[in-house]
Amino acid sequence: MMSSSSSTREGKLAGLTGATGRRVSQWLAGPVPTSVLIALVIGAGFMLVAGANPITGYHSMLVGSLGSGQGLSTTIQRSIPLVGMALCVAVAFRAGVLNLGAEGQMVLGGLAGAVVALNLPGPGLLVCAVACLAGIAAGALWGALSAALQAWPGVPLLITSLLLNYPARYFVSWMIRFPLKDPASSSVATESYRPEVQIPLLAPKGSAIGDWLAQNLGSDNPLTVIGKGVGWSLVVVIVLVALVSFINRRTVFGLESGINGLNEGFSRYSGVRVNWMTTRTMLLSGGIAGLVGVMLTIGAPTSRLIDGSLIDTNYAWTGLLVALLALYRPAGVVVAGVFFGAIVAGSGQMGRDLSMSPQIAAVVQGIVIVLIAFQVHPPRRRRRAGPPAEADNSAAAVPTNQAEGA
Amino acid sequence: MSGFFDAALVESIVRALIPVLFAALGALLCDRAGVFNIALEGQLLIGCFGAVAGSYFTGSAVVGVIAAVLAASVFSLILSYGSVTRKAEPIVLGVAMNILAVGITSFLIDAVFHVRGVFQDPAIAGLHHFAIPGLVRIPWIGPALFNLTILGYLGLLLVPATSIVLFRTPLGMRLRGVGERPLAAETLGVSPASYQYGAVTASGVLCGLAGAQLALGNVVQFAENMSAGRGWIAVVAVMLAKDKPYATLGAALLFGSTEAIGFRLQGEGLAVQITDAAPYVVTLIALLFAARSFRRQRAAATVA
Repeated sequence: MMSSSSSTREGKLAGLTGATGRRVSQWLAGPVPTSVLIALVIGAGFMLVAGANPITGYHSMLVGSLGSGQGLSTTIQRSIPLVGMALCVAVAFRAGVLNLGAEGQMVLGGLAGAVVALNLPGPGLLVCAVACLAGIAAGALWGALSAALQAWPGVPLLITSLLLNYPARYFVSWMIRFPLKDPASSSVATESYRPEVQIPLLAPKGSAIGDWLAQNLGSDNPLTVIGKGVGWSLVVVIVLVALVSFINRRTVFGLESGINGLNEGFSRYSGVRVNWMTTRTMLLSGGIAGLVGVMLTIGAPTSRLIDGSLIDTNYAWTGLLVALLALYRPAGVVVAGVFFGAIVAGSGQMGRDLSMSPQIAAVVQGIVIVLIAFQVHPPRRRRRAGPPAEADNSAAAVPTNQAEGA
Repeated sequence: MSGFFDAALVESIVRALIPVLFAALGALLCDRAGVFNIALEGQLLIGCFGAVAGSYFTGSAVVGVIAAVLAASVFSLILSYGSVTRKAEPIVLGVAMNILAVGITSFLIDAVFHVRGVFQDPAIAGLHHFAIPGLVRIPWIGPALFNLTILGYLGLLLVPATSIVLFRTPLGMRLRGVGERPLAAETLGVSPASYQYGAVTASGVLCGLAGAQLALGNVVQFAENMSAGRGWIAVVAVMLAKDKPYATLGAALLFGSTEAIGFRLQGEGLAVQITDAAPYVVTLIALLFAARSFRRQRAAATVA
């Protein structure tokens, strides 16, 4: 995609050969690593304001995210909803459908899942599957409502999807506080689900695999720790990534929505029924959000729905940032999601170690996205003849079908 | 229910509408200059924090207001530099700035004041209310309109002022020209970039004032995420008002009434979740009714 002559040169400069090497060195010279670096430096400035040593801080962040078994486990736990929510946003933004209502779709999905898990009798696996389907349906319908309101009477989807977050959020809070409230509990939460309807952990303590891992690898081995901290939601999200990737590349819908994101006028001219395409996109996007909501609600070790638990973690909005960072590509969403998940996990650890606000994560993440939008580059050795590479980058950073002069 | 609609209700409507009005006027200027500003929520929150920090450290509400204006307008430089100079997508910047603002303020409230959630301290000086002698005695609207903080009066006066500047001065005409036909404006020697920088910075100043009114006028404290969607309401208000100043006041009034009436209904036993959701639902319904005409206006953004 980038100008080939200069990329060859850069590939050789980095001492790498072959297409992969070129792409890696190109990426390293691009805006993403530079933005991350600058954001971390600014983050260090914030740590100094809080009276902490940035080196200690980042060390603690590293240990709490990637440098220990527990850290890895937390990172994966945080990455699962982030990747899911980022996929939700990515399928929409890629189609030029600016869905800012992921949060509302997610919490309604979570609520639907909780209602099913609490009330439906029957074998655990079946209840779990029905809960997931109910969550997908709730999220998809709430998302499609915005699409419908854009088709008629014609309110921009960006605004309706955003505004619909609030009734969804307050409705869920109301449901937990009144109809679903566990009268026996002092906290504002539903009753606990039966353990067998939860999405199980991969290798919990006491299970055959869990004990085998603990005996053969030791109880502190990263695999053992991950096995008892991470649930089957991980597998669900991996399947989801593959599914979205397949839809994008191999289906008519994927092609149409991708073209619509690049140029709505062109897609309309070539016969795409934009309203129907938008509706299907919102069904897909909202459905993914709903499924993530269910996974956050009934995924072990979560055993009940607590008021505010889906909102306070801010997965929906952080997921939006992940999608922007990943340029809406499923594979990129995984990398960016794990990266942001690591920042969240590490910031939590750093907050505990240095008694600092874990909100440093939002600061660093926000700055990364702002800088990437700015297209910050490392200083160039030589000027390029033309701007093709930059034009390509900025075009990719645009989520909408609004034309932009690069 | 007797005594439900009383003078105190009118007063709380006005109190609720002023911060939204400031932010909405900022959104209006940006829209007119052709910059889609959805970072108001973040600008507003930064303004709140600046106001409380300035007031706490100096003991002066005026310094608090100045600090709020400075903080929010410096923060708004991210949007103007990004969207004007770097040609970045304003929606991306807006979303990132809103999250950044929550992060920065929540981090700093802990780092500087060593509290989490809410920062309340007797050292924070609030804004005084100035009663206008005579007028304040008018029943119903007197206490509501003529016993405001200095920012309250300023906000209400800014509506006609914005209208006059926008439609009766060369400055306003150039600003509108930059938004509607940037190339034509440039041909006539008007630099779109400088007008867009000006408009975004003005929205920063206005959001700073909104934040000061919210954090030093309506209450005297800083709470995490205390802007609570008002920046988004401002975006919608301007959309509803089709970028007209007086109509923006009307839209802000709609929001203020819903919030105030909802707050009153809480006292009557209605669940807080329902009254909290009401302003957004009412705004949405108003948008649906207004949609017919702005389908034509925003043909590009919606269905042709």
